[in-house]
Amino acid sequence: MIRLAWRNLTRNKLRTLLTVASVALALFVLAVLVALVQAIESTEGTVANRVVVRHAVSLTFDLPEAFGGRLTRLDHVDAVTPLSWFGGVYIDQRPENFFPRFASDPATLFDVFGEYSLPEAEREAWTQDRSGFIAGRALAEKYDWAIGERITIQGDIYPVDLELTLRGIFTHPDLETQERQLFFHRRYLEESLGNPGRVGTYWLLLDAPESVPAVVRGAEAMFESSDAPVRAETEEAFALSFLEMLGNLRLLIGSIGLAIVISILFITANTMAMAARDRTREVAVLRTLGFRRGQVTGLVLAEAVAVGVFGAVCGVGLAVLAIGGLREGMGEVFPAFAALEASPAALGLALAIGAGVGLLSGLAPALGAARIDIVDGLRRVG
Amino acid sequence: MGVPIRYNLRSLFQRRTTTAMTVLSIAFVVLVFIGVSSLAAGISEAFAASGDPANLLVLRDGARSETESAFDLATARGIAAMPGVERTADDRPLASGEMIVVQIFEREDGSESNVTVRGVGPMAQTVRPDLEIVEGRDFVSGTGEIIVGSDLAQRFRGLRLGEEVRIGLLDFRVVGIFEAGGGNAEAEIWGALEDVGNTFRRENAVSSMRLRTSSAAAMAELERQVESDQRWRVVAQPETQYYAEQTSANTMQFRILGTLLAVLMGFGACFAAANTMYAAIERRGREIGTLRALGFRRPAILLAFLLEAAFLGLLGGIVGCILALPLNGISAGTTNFISFSEITFQLTTTPAVLISGLLVALATGIVGGLPPAIAAARRPITGLLRGS
Repeated sequence: MIRLAWRNLTRNKLRTLLTVASVALALFVLAVLVALVQAIESTEGTVANRVVVRHAVSLTFDLPEAFGGRLTRLDHVDAVTPLSWFGGVYIDQRPENFFPRFASDPATLFDVFGEYSLPEAEREAWTQDRSGFIAGRALAEKYDWAIGERITIQGDIYPVDLELTLRGIFTHPDLETQERQLFFHRRYLEESLGNPGRVGTYWLLLDAPESVPAVVRGAEAMFESSDAPVRAETEEAFALSFLEMLGNLRLLIGSIGLAIVISILFITANTMAMAARDRTREVAVLRTLGFRRGQVTGLVLAEAVAVGVFGAVCGVGLAVLAIGGLREGMGEVFPAFAALEASPAALGLALAIGAGVGLLSGLAPALGAARIDIVDGLRRVG
Repeated sequence: MGVPIRYNLRSLFQRRTTTAMTVLSIAFVVLVFIGVSSLAAGISEAFAASGDPANLLVLRDGARSETESAFDLATARGIAAMPGVERTADDRPLASGEMIVVQIFEREDGSESNVTVRGVGPMAQTVRPDLEIVEGRDFVSGTGEIIVGSDLAQRFRGLRLGEEVRIGLLDFRVVGIFEAGGGNAEAEIWGALEDVGNTFRRENAVSSMRLRTSSAAAMAELERQVESDQRWRVVAQPETQYYAEQTSANTMQFRILGTLLAVLMGFGACFAAANTMYAAIERRGREIGTLRALGFRRPAILLAFLLEAAFLGLLGGIVGCILALPLNGISAGTTNFISFSEITFQLTTTPAVLISGLLVALATGIVGGLPPAIAAARRPITGLLRGS
């Protein structure tokens, strides 16, 4: 049986090849799309016992400097550090020259972000130099920065330009995306602005993930009637709020994926139907030889599934190669691509769809073949 | 020449199922392409409808969007008094200083996004002739009243006519719904400059200024004067240019994605078309032989089969366009990350988008049909006639 199915597949090599290729291409696109959505939705690197406190109105509002000390006194809070999104322009406005730049406090930054490692000597040097900055390893490599490098960042959100000197290069144990950031002294920014005493967000490290609800309530209640009411949420919820801003774009990408699946269904179903129709006579011969209806059905189905799975394997293989390439090539232009990974879920989905489409597209021709009237089939020409 | 062509086109209808399947697979590729392109086209249209060619927009030097920009009222008054600014009949400058604040609101589905709250003075509607209140009435300054863009009122909670909503530290009441010719303002909340300043504790400042000018030359001259004046650090640009820059930043990724998807999926559909045509040629060997025996030459056969494939592609394109038509007008919202606020737009299947969809389909048919057509023309007559 299996040999027969294989023979059938290899009989019209060109047709099989073309079908496998179109299935492979479609599933390749699908796997990359799914991986892309996953990369966009990724909250990898967030820590369950880290809480972000920000102005309740929106991120474009900042908080008074004095809030930091008060947040430290909340129960279950082990450490507090301020981070302000500086934005700005480095070299030019092209997206490949964009990376996150934060005004931070060297004294407390690593208490809250313990996963970053920076050599002790570099940390000391950075703390000492008010116009110093530290960069992630990936970022420093991209621009070929060495310790002592001087750079200028033009302000856009803040009306000041920063003259900074590289004092240290930090690393993250497993996420390259976390290494594409820059931190500098918030005191430097404060002085340039005439000491307004403002902070964008406060990041809190709690003693345990279980303390999150209590700390969130405590922080929000603490400033409820102040001029700057706050919103507190886990790091993950904070990350997801950016995703929500994308709105129904995710739904639209999902619909594109669906349209792709439907189109390959038509492509393979078409080929299988053609293949089955060409063989009406042979099926009749098989039946005369004593093959039962079920066996004939199985034969056609096996052929269809084989095409689907072959196509899927090729498509997924291509996707694995392409995802690596896209991450390297596009990661710097579109941040979402930097986190692109050939996840087992995306690849598994593509394989399953390949097999499913094969099965589904073979169903009608297979049943048709089984129903063939032997006498009619034998009489039929070509 | 006529016979092979007619023969080929009629063959398409002879094998209905195969033709329909191939047409549908091409149609879905076209659908994907049109879907992504109409997304980009919709965003472009929303931005293109924003901005008036007679307006010069003034921002703080270095700011890339109104959200980031701010300067004090004294500066605003000084700029408004400059000679190039048009004036009303009673000699007041046609200059609108506006405050832009971004606040989190909930969409109807419960997800959240940042919405622009714009504090405006009496000239705001004068410099935007497109703006029209379609329900309710205009707000009255100092009474905690706001008007809401029509897109926003539909897609967000608590922003319908008559509803009360907390903005900043105070409660506001929606007294009117406005349209702005499909422009970006339809995704904004408008209130009095003083009220918005009050509730956000941002008094005596504006984010931007819109200056009305009488001609393009007057605008260029005013732009130069505003920027070279030593009293303030601001930049000026035509309002249309400001929105055009935001468009390109926000649509680039969709254009790249759309093209990439179309090319990749197009290859897949080419293979499908090639498959169909190869099968057709195989099955019609004797018929091709007959045509050749009747005296039709190889080029005629090649052309006829190529036309058949092109027609197959075109059919797929037409079906794809028809399938894509319901996409037109679907309203969608996303965040403009330059101004950090919600923009709403309608998916727009412009004629240009539909035509490029058809071209993709046609190209699919021709590229996929060329190798089989060559194969058909090459086959020797004797073999063809003898074959089954």
